[in-house]
Amino acid sequence: MKNRTIIILLVLITSSFTTSNRVETLIVKEIKKSFDIENFTKESIKITNELNEVLPLKLSETNFFKINNEGSIIGYYYLGSAYGKAAYFDYLVIFNKDLIVSKVKVLTYREDHGGEIKSKRWLKQFNEKSTDKNLKYQEDIVGISGATISVKSMTNDVNKLFKTIGILIKNNQL
Amino acid sequence: MKKLSLVLVILFTNLYSYSQDITQNSGQRLLNTNVLNGVTIGGYAQIDYNEPDGSTVGKFDVHRLVLLFAYKFNEKVSFVTEIEYEHVKEVYVEQAYLSYKANESVNILAGLMLVPMGIINEYHEPTTYYGVERPSIDTYIVPTTWREIGIGISGNLDDLSLKYQAYVFNGFKSYAEGEGILRGIDGLRKGRQKGAETVVSSPNFSSKIDYYGISGLRLGLSGYFGQTQTDDTTIEASTIGVSMVGFDARYKYSNLELRGQYIHTILSDTEDYNMLTGKDLGSKMTGFYGEIAYNFNLKGEEKLTPFVRYEKFNTHAETEGSLPKDDSYDRNELFFGLSYKVADGAVFKVDYNLINNAVLDSKTKKQFNAGVGIWF
Repeated sequence: MKNRTIIILLVLITSSFTTSNRVETLIVKEIKKSFDIENFTKESIKITNELNEVLPLKLSETNFFKINNEGSIIGYYYLGSAYGKAAYFDYLVIFNKDLIVSKVKVLTYREDHGGEIKSKRWLKQFNEKSTDKNLKYQEDIVGISGATISVKSMTNDVNKLFKTIGILIKNNQL
Repeated sequence: MKKLSLVLVILFTNLYSYSQDITQNSGQRLLNTNVLNGVTIGGYAQIDYNEPDGSTVGKFDVHRLVLLFAYKFNEKVSFVTEIEYEHVKEVYVEQAYLSYKANESVNILAGLMLVPMGIINEYHEPTTYYGVERPSIDTYIVPTTWREIGIGISGNLDDLSLKYQAYVFNGFKSYAEGEGILRGIDGLRKGRQKGAETVVSSPNFSSKIDYYGISGLRLGLSGYFGQTQTDDTTIEASTIGVSMVGFDARYKYSNLELRGQYIHTILSDTEDYNMLTGKDLGSKMTGFYGEIAYNFNLKGEEKLTPFVRYEKFNTHAETEGSLPKDDSYDRNELFFGLSYKVADGAVFKVDYNLINNAVLDSKTKKQFNAGVGIWF
């Protein structure tokens, strides 16, 4: 019994030593799966500081990208962080070339409460939503009892992202 | 007690200084997607007015005031604690545990934690349930706020939309200094050790599985099994066996909210225990409630929600040996009331409560409750 406990603990601890490559690998995998492609290149989007200041979510060279495949833009992706009950969680939003959501995934969830929002079924609710929409909690996005804070936080952040993209479109940046 | 006060002073001084940092950092944090550590503060409070029908006077009470703070050491390690004031003057630590995230679906937790049983014990912030007071089953059958020291694992299985929790906890104390502690009217409630200088004589196992794969629905199955604790292990009759199983369901469809819970508890060896201690502990305790609520959306975040809840519970569902069943422990309660949510974390509540028991020709007791609930 004791040996088994030690082995289980060792497995758990070593499995936690996964590098930050885990996230990068996940992103690449999700993009390939979403567009059914083997290769792609990412390209950051450069905007002026003045424009960045008015955006609800600030863009950087490491959080918003165009996805290129065989010389043309096939989509976009955004990496964000939102706050749960006591910690940030990181998420990925993939858009198609028309800026319709094709996938939302929680990449890292850091607290033991509210992890329900990682559910694939729940996250599917964001699919097919376009950025001109303001998502309403309970109407467009059905909540999960016991994970309300994280649900609202995720919904709010996606709304902010939609607004950000709306402003970029208006300013002919996309 | 002095020590506790000192700890609290230190905690609050730190809390104050941290809260300053938080306001300064929050803006920066939002800009930075890679913040891995820091302090979170939060809390909840429940302030009640209870007025029983008849000659008894009403009472105002700051029933609970709880301050949460959490510290995140790094990507994987955090500490969560809640300091609770009950009725203004009683101070407890409601939760204090270290969480280590082993991987994306396994957290290792250790310390003073909530036992996952039914809905309210884990989700007890007053803005998350209807009625001024918590459901009565979650007082008499599930002794909320039920917390003990233990170690366990929890996590979410994302493909299956499942949350699992499994712990080894310290159990209820049934016997100390030559006296029995547990009794018929509220079963295990008096036996909670709450992490304060607890006695340990045998481990207890607790587990819960939640399923949330169907839109709007959450189902939970909880189990708790073990033996009570005693300060005198030479007296076998000073402990009893505890097996508690709970099923709960929460469903939201548009503005409609439904909730239900069933708890089934078997207590073994109560005949010997009652003989030893002169107590009247039952051998089976059961209870259920069903609740229906409808949200009317007012302007902005404001919501007006009427609700009805029916509860039926019995701490003497069965008794062992010569102990007669006490019909006054076979209770049912009907609540109807209104919640007026003025902000996401702030609510005004009123309700009216009809309390009955199975005693022949017993009169219905009535109670009016009003209160405020906050959570931030």
